[in-house]
Amino acid sequence: MKILIVDDFSTMRRIIKNLLRDLGFTNTDEADDGNTALPMLKSGKYDFLVTDWNMPGMSGFDLLKAVRADENLKTLPVLMVTAEAKRDQIVAAAQAGVNGYVVKPFTAAVLKEKIEKIFERIQ
Amino acid sequence: MAFDADDEILQDFLVEAGEILEKLSEQLVDLEQHPDDSNLLNAIFRGFHTVKGGAGFLQLDALVNCCHSAENVFDILRNHKRAVDSELMDVVLEALDHVNAMFEQVRNREELTPAPDELIAALDALALPQVTGEVVSTERADVPAAPESDQDGGDITDEEFEQLLDALHGDAPVSGAADSSAPDQPAGSSGSGDEITDDEFEALLDELHGKGKFAAKAAAADDTQAASGAASPAVGNDGELITDDEFEKLLDELHGKGGSPTTGGPAEKTSQPKAEPAKVLPEQVPETKPAAPAPAGKAAPPRDSAPVAETTVRVDTKRLDDIMNMVGELVLVRNRLQRLGSDSEDEHMHKAVSSLDVVTTDLQAAVMQTRMQPIKKVFGRFPRVVRDLARGMKKEVNLVMIGEETDLDKNLVEALSDPLVHLVRNSVDHGIETPDVREKAGKPRQGTVTLSAEQEGDHILLSIDDDGAGMDPEVLRRKAVEKGIYDQDAADRLTDTECFNLIFAAGFSTKEQISDVSGRGVGMDVVKTKINQLNGQLSIVSALGKGSRIIIKVPLTLAIMPTLMIKLGDQSFALPLVNVVEIFHLNLTRTNVVDGRECVVVRDKVFPLFHIKRWLVKGSTGVTGPESGHVVIVAMGTNKVGFVVDQLVGQEEVVIKPLGRGLQGTPGMAGATITGDGRIALIIDVPSLLQHYS
Repeated sequence: MKILIVDDFSTMRRIIKNLLRDLGFTNTDEADDGNTALPMLKSGKYDFLVTDWNMPGMSGFDLLKAVRADENLKTLPVLMVTAEAKRDQIVAAAQAGVNGYVVKPFTAAVLKEKIEKIFERIQ
Repeated sequence: MAFDADDEILQDFLVEAGEILEKLSEQLVDLEQHPDDSNLLNAIFRGFHTVKGGAGFLQLDALVNCCHSAENVFDILRNHKRAVDSELMDVVLEALDHVNAMFEQVRNREELTPAPDELIAALDALALPQVTGEVVSTERADVPAAPESDQDGGDITDEEFEQLLDALHGDAPVSGAADSSAPDQPAGSSGSGDEITDDEFEALLDELHGKGKFAAKAAAADDTQAASGAASPAVGNDGELITDDEFEKLLDELHGKGGSPTTGGPAEKTSQPKAEPAKVLPEQVPETKPAAPAPAGKAAPPRDSAPVAETTVRVDTKRLDDIMNMVGELVLVRNRLQRLGSDSEDEHMHKAVSSLDVVTTDLQAAVMQTRMQPIKKVFGRFPRVVRDLARGMKKEVNLVMIGEETDLDKNLVEALSDPLVHLVRNSVDHGIETPDVREKAGKPRQGTVTLSAEQEGDHILLSIDDDGAGMDPEVLRRKAVEKGIYDQDAADRLTDTECFNLIFAAGFSTKEQISDVSGRGVGMDVVKTKINQLNGQLSIVSALGKGSRIIIKVPLTLAIMPTLMIKLGDQSFALPLVNVVEIFHLNLTRTNVVDGRECVVVRDKVFPLFHIKRWLVKGSTGVTGPESGHVVIVAMGTNKVGFVVDQLVGQEEVVIKPLGRGLQGTPGMAGATITGDGRIALIIDVPSLLQHYS
């Protein structure tokens, strides 16, 4: 499974990448905000998107909306990484078509569960 | 939240978050000037947020806590629920100081000292909107130790859920009013009303799929389940909260619908009007594309130019130092070859040597470029320094910075930092007058300190200007006599410039009353010593009542230095070219003796003359020199003296190698180098040479 990790903070990308690697997902790419991520998604045949919410340039939320608006990407599963489980944020994200969210900091086990849940739902 | 913070990630975090913190300090001071700049507010919010996020994974709870509180303040600010004022800035800046201190502790692998509770409480108080009547998003002054622990597994109430449903149907906005209706929550997390639980989220997704009632039922069931197991607040446990039975139903429902959340009606509805960002994309694609395949893990993207910077690689400075060192060796070999080549008749040899020369010069320049950093790195500290000082002394000071983009060697940037801070403090403390005094003198109440940097040839010129009181040469003269540095006679003969330079003399302070900022008279001579160590020069211009200007001239790099090669006996020495003013031939019998010192008159100016051979070459102390010799006039600041040397070899770029441990600290020697003919030459440190021998 090819996964794109989007976060403006490279340390965070690395952390997520390492966690995913621990779960056996080794085919990962990184992008530092929505503006970089979107062209990659469009050309890259990704199976899964993990994106931070709060980023300069294009935020995770805007990226999500852009992904859902794209004919080829609209079924791409999206996991949103947030700092707080703020209700209004999550509700908005769900309405915009997010598949799951995970609150920082999280462990590999939590991430695994979130991913599994998303795929159970999709299948 | 067990996470094995492996060392590499920690190092990454330190570097990257360090950059963010540095930027934060600038941005915060900026904010005071532009309190309504929402981009700035957002950037600061994001800065704290990002540091907090990283720190969370690294289990730096104290850091998380402080950042979190600060972040909340800026969340309120950026939503315009509170306005920026100086008291708020004081608290926020103090918070940043604590964050920086903790950061330093992380760097040193020390235990973190959490920010004082009062500070956190003050931040939390500021994180409340000024306008009352609205529910605060988060407030957790009472749980400082575990800021992330308030996502309770099962605290959703029926009322909340109803609201959620309402919200989904778009009937009513989500409000946090539910807070009050959840009195049975575990310890002190009053913010739960705004936080969503996993169960709620699941229900929400169901809802969005158009399942309506089922979701409500499922969530209601969750609720009872969760209530029974409410003791565990961990986010990860919620999976068990849905029973198998419910889950089966859920899956059935989903398969029946045959779709992922993306095909849900409401989702599409909301995504359409908001598709605007996508339209902007085509023009952004070309510029971001090349960056895309770059291995991003090592990249150090400055936040604002992120897509472009993805092509960069982070390199340990140690490695750069090594490369620089090797290039230095290469320069030496080139010098050597050049010397050998010039003796040879072979044309091919000449060609090869000259192309080696070109390549080495380019390589040297390129490597130097990699070590360059904008002076902004140092300048960035000043807004904060000036702000704090001005506030402390009730002065009004405007700091203007020019040429922040000027690049100079990394080591220099670091080395200049302290002297510059001292000089700027001095300008604010001694230079700028209080607003009332300024007004009486017919000046604007607000003083201006201008900090500028520019490159001039192979030098960097830094200047610190103030439009303050300026210096009075008479006062300085009097002071010099009082302190016993000069007698009255000598003091009277000092030129104004020499008087100004007195402030760099050890133990010289004109301030009657010592402030805690400057005025102890230790700083300025340290500044001077430091600048001299960097092969730099300091000069002062001042006009009484108009202000002062201190100019620092430092070489672009510390590693390679243009020198004048001289010979004393058959030993080579290198004089830094910065110090060399002129060279001439002199009949040594025609010198004058003034005050018991040998002097030489050049164009009506008198320079003391020193036979440095007597100092530096063994066995030549008592020997009378030849009748004529070469004289090199060297300058340190405003002082100029003549050195008598045996032979002038020529100009050579040398790579400075430190002296061996046994020789380190030898007075008058800055280091050693290998000359073009393969011999070792000592590099003379003019100021310390004179200090020690004359």
